[in-house]
Amino acid sequence: MFSEQVAPTAQGLLGPPSAEPPTFPRVPVLGYSDCSGPFRPGERSFGRQYAHVYAVRLAGMRPTLEHRARGRWGSDAVLRKLSELQAGEKCCVVGTLFKAMQLQPSILQEISEEHNLVPQPPLPKYIQPSDELILEDELQRIKLEGAIDVQRLVTGTIVAVYGSEQDDGRFLVEDHCFADLPPPLPWNGPTSDRFVLLASGLGLGSGSGEALLSTQLLVDVVTGQLGAEGEQSCAAHISRVILAGNLLSQNTQSRDTINKAKYLTKKTQAASVEAVKMLDEILLQLCTSVPVDVMPGEFDPTNYTLPQQPLHRCMLPLASPYATLHLVTNPYQANLDGVRFLGTSGQNVSDIFKYSSMDDYLEILEWTLLAGHISPTAPDTLGCYPFYKSDPFILTECPHVYFCGNAPCFQSKLLQGAEGQRVLLVTVPDFSTTQTACLVNLRDLTCQPITFSGFGAEDEDGDMEVGH
Amino acid sequence: MADELYLENIDEFVTDQNRVVTYKWLSYTLGVHVNQAKQMLYDYVERKRKENSGAQLHVTYLVAGNLLQNGHVCHKVAVVREDKLEAMKSKLSTIASVHVYSIQKALLKDSSPLYNTDYDIVKTNLHNCSKFSAIHCDAAVPRMPPDIPRAQTSLQGSSQRENDTGAPSAPAVNGHGPLAAKHPSQQHKGIMGMFAAKAASKPQDTNKETKAEASGVSTASSKPPTKNNIINNFFGKAAMNKLKVNPVPEQPKEEKEVVKPSVAVAEPESPPNPVVEKPGKRTESARIQQKDRKSKTKHVDRSDNEEERDPENTKRKRKRIKQLQSDSSDEEDVPPPPTPEEEKAPSPPPVPALKTELEPTTMEVSAGGRKRKRKRVLKSKMFIDEEEGCMVTEKVYESESCTDSEEEFPKPKPPAAHKQPVLPMKKEPKEERKTLKTGAAPANRANKQVSIMGFFHKK
Repeated sequence: MFSEQVAPTAQGLLGPPSAEPPTFPRVPVLGYSDCSGPFRPGERSFGRQYAHVYAVRLAGMRPTLEHRARGRWGSDAVLRKLSELQAGEKCCVVGTLFKAMQLQPSILQEISEEHNLVPQPPLPKYIQPSDELILEDELQRIKLEGAIDVQRLVTGTIVAVYGSEQDDGRFLVEDHCFADLPPPLPWNGPTSDRFVLLASGLGLGSGSGEALLSTQLLVDVVTGQLGAEGEQSCAAHISRVILAGNLLSQNTQSRDTINKAKYLTKKTQAASVEAVKMLDEILLQLCTSVPVDVMPGEFDPTNYTLPQQPLHRCMLPLASPYATLHLVTNPYQANLDGVRFLGTSGQNVSDIFKYSSMDDYLEILEWTLLAGHISPTAPDTLGCYPFYKSDPFILTECPHVYFCGNAPCFQSKLLQGAEGQRVLLVTVPDFSTTQTACLVNLRDLTCQPITFSGFGAEDEDGDMEVGH
Repeated sequence: MADELYLENIDEFVTDQNRVVTYKWLSYTLGVHVNQAKQMLYDYVERKRKENSGAQLHVTYLVAGNLLQNGHVCHKVAVVREDKLEAMKSKLSTIASVHVYSIQKALLKDSSPLYNTDYDIVKTNLHNCSKFSAIHCDAAVPRMPPDIPRAQTSLQGSSQRENDTGAPSAPAVNGHGPLAAKHPSQQHKGIMGMFAAKAASKPQDTNKETKAEASGVSTASSKPPTKNNIINNFFGKAAMNKLKVNPVPEQPKEEKEVVKPSVAVAEPESPPNPVVEKPGKRTESARIQQKDRKSKTKHVDRSDNEEERDPENTKRKRKRIKQLQSDSSDEEDVPPPPTPEEEKAPSPPPVPALKTELEPTTMEVSAGGRKRKRKRVLKSKMFIDEEEGCMVTEKVYESESCTDSEEEFPKPKPPAAHKQPVLPMKKEPKEERKTLKTGAAPANRANKQVSIMGFFHKK
């Protein structure tokens, strides 16, 4: 654990100045390679329809699912396409799930004049008991019923169902399965303690200063200014910092220029300008001391559709000259010191949260791993680039650390797979509300939250009970 | 004794200046390692309390350690007031570090003054923010501009270079510190290219004055943002005059390298106003440059204006310029003008060489003895741009005297001036302007409309 063994020297700085105080070298990067290539579409043309995404997704995952299906229901299980179904015959079908939800916001309905609908306000969850599941493959679709949890599943998941077609045209499901964990990657992790700091949701530009001191404390701990010698030497083992999205706060998103009169907004600058300047200064402080990977998030100045492209370096003039600053995509995949990291800024998980009965971010994260796809709800309810050659969100290899940012609280779990996979699942909490970041120890794949706090007028003993 | 010095310093900061002295602030101010700063603060507190137990000192501490929370071990880092220190320590299962965070005279209600102090001191030391830190990173080296595109691949090579011991790394990286200070400032490219702030060029000032301004003038011919008019508004015409001059000598080379990147940027804007561009550009670059230099150039302006102007009007001018500049200070900070003297030396030589476009306000000043009110009027100016081979009409804010002495920009010589002619021509423009001024003064009076009543007094 971080700083556990340094207790003896904890109070070392409570004394008169000593001679030359030690400085610790930052642990060098053992190996770094960015594997986010698939998330950077070279050419970007939006002239295609989104149907191609589903086609390539199904084509890409079909082999895996057929393999799983055979393993589960016997190698003699009959695999059929929907067009070949015969009533009453037990067979197995692989297809894409579609969940018909009444409450799902539909832009076509909203602008349709005959319905005269008022635009629906955003709800936390759009599920309803009357939702239905439909299975689609390349040519046909069929309604599903039976041993399948309608509430839990979301549109876009590739699934293999085992059952038979009924007389009324529905498919009665007896069992179903997903792609399950992808094949494992070899383990080349470090033998000594090395930490990666995961933080997300810094929320700069929010106009409220409570999290600012905590952010400064975070930077100070990582750069080795804060803490006694023991803690500083431990901080020198932090080999990387990953900022998983939402560096800017949601408040910077207000589009006054659209709503207000021009004469009121002419001289005002966007709130994000000031926030990006602050971000630049913070990144500069971090970059002079540790390699940093910056992922964009929902409220950051980059494109909206997944995969989000890196922030442009012209916005960060102070920090971008440093080679330690890496502006990366969302989702982000990389090999850090021999450990494969894969993570997003949380849009995929929060979108599934809205359309599924699953409430726990960690549960959803685990489910996406088992479903073999980072973000099944894209492009249905989550914006996505219209891929047509291949779907880069399909999980082909099992990462060692799988994280999502901007979760409501910190959670982590070590998942063991049947084929020897070991995955550390981490939900990185939103820093602006929880003042908590995560430290992942690469040696043994453990994770520890690290909380920062100042003191306020109302703080009595309430500090600890707040439960960061 | 050096040991005692810091105690006195801290005492002065806390008691006399009533500051919030955080360890970081002390570390940057005294130039010591952060750990030493923390120890110094502690030492000061101890001694002060020993000798005077009624001393009004409030201390905040930083406590860090492990804590069992929600079923997992959480590492907590907290800044606490002295009275809550023991309570926090008892909550932690293991304590990783305790040290003094800050000392101040007053009791703090919340931690925002701590944050503000730290923020301010870091902001002023952004370029060597890891200098006094306990961790140094070899890989954190700023790249030169051409290297940036080739970026990431070379990182692995450099970061593999290990540094096993702490001591040798410290001077190495400290060496990087000042380097880092320079490089980031030189690396503004592209969009920022025009506004590139030149940190390193100041020493070259005195040597390169004459040449510099010539080359600067000639090379500066192309790029102008249309903000010229706005900039002209901020500074008085006279102020702009001097402003232009001083940045030029200070950035001889950079003009050239700035020219290239900014050509592309400014291309669309260059046709309209290549002339006032020069003043504009220089005022702009003056504006964007570092504060101290800016303030110095402004001092020059003010000083020159003051000395050249009619003594009766001196006070009025001073007030007006200061007011103008303080109005514009939402964008740049204008420190009060302290030392105009040192700037006087560089200024006279560059002043005459200003030839074209510029500031006829010097003339009006030398005429002296006249009562004038300076007004800013939007006028259309037409001239031939030799570079582009076209006639250019532009609207420019000019400050004019409303009583007499008209200042209009004298017929500008083509912006593509050369180095050689500048030197010999040094004296010419001045005379030219003088004659122009006197000659034009009565004639142009008729065209000016100073107030609405001026309408009726045309004859």
